[in-house]
Amino acid sequence: MHSILAVDDSASMRQMVSFTLKSAGYTVIEAVDGQDAWEKAGGRSFDLVLTDQNMPRMDGISLTRKLRETAQFKATPILILTTESSDQMKQAGRAAGATGWLVKPFDPNKLIEVIQKVIR
Amino acid sequence: MSHDETVASPPPEMPLLFATELQDHLMTASNDLERLQRLLDDACLALMEGFHDSAGQLGSVIDQGHEITPHLHEVRQTLFKAVTALQFQDMATQLIAHTNKRLRNCADQIARDAMGDDDPDGAAVVEEGPLKPNPVTQDEMDAGSVELF
Repeated sequence: MHSILAVDDSASMRQMVSFTLKSAGYTVIEAVDGQDAWEKAGGRSFDLVLTDQNMPRMDGISLTRKLRETAQFKATPILILTTESSDQMKQAGRAAGATGWLVKPFDPNKLIEVIQKVIR
Repeated sequence: MSHDETVASPPPEMPLLFATELQDHLMTASNDLERLQRLLDDACLALMEGFHDSAGQLGSVIDQGHEITPHLHEVRQTLFKAVTALQFQDMATQLIAHTNKRLRNCADQIARDAMGDDDPDGAAVVEEGPLKPNPVTQDEMDAGSVELF
């Protein structure tokens, strides 16, 4: 069973992401912001990271950059799920090493479809 | 001195009474936004409780390895529609926080310009304005775009 690290500072968003992913058969570990995710990523590997962008302590792009510097997460798909839709932010995400950029609100069916596509 | 090199004159001073009233209006709007945020939080909490109950029931059926019947599939699709709609709270929260920050920054700047520095060390307390543009530009709850790099 694939495991996914879901990162969002909004409790309601975490619940909805978790429900969506669990209903598709994934194991979900939640993190409340980038720093929390970084700490949780330290001890184990994940098949995919799904992160928000605007969060306290560490944002999604900084988290992506840090994860990409580790051997463990070099090839792991990292998706940024955010309200931000500007091209400038998307390019920053891409430069940091993100696999994709998803704009909120997300459609659960579409999210599952994208994850199935990028997860190996 | 050419016409292009005119010396910039200082901005006209705002009458104190007008500045005070304007600051009051901005602070009232800011307080109303905070009240709106609390209302949204309460509403979302109640909606999430209902959502959680339904999602939990569906989850336990899936966990038990039951076959996904057409009826269960329909229930899941209905919950998925709720998932998309319930994201309003996250988006509204970010929008409110951004707008509130801007309002408070304007109110503080007006107060400082009209009444001067009021701190003992001479520096007026001006709440910092938003550093980035508003992150929420959506004006409907249709699903957002997906871009794979």
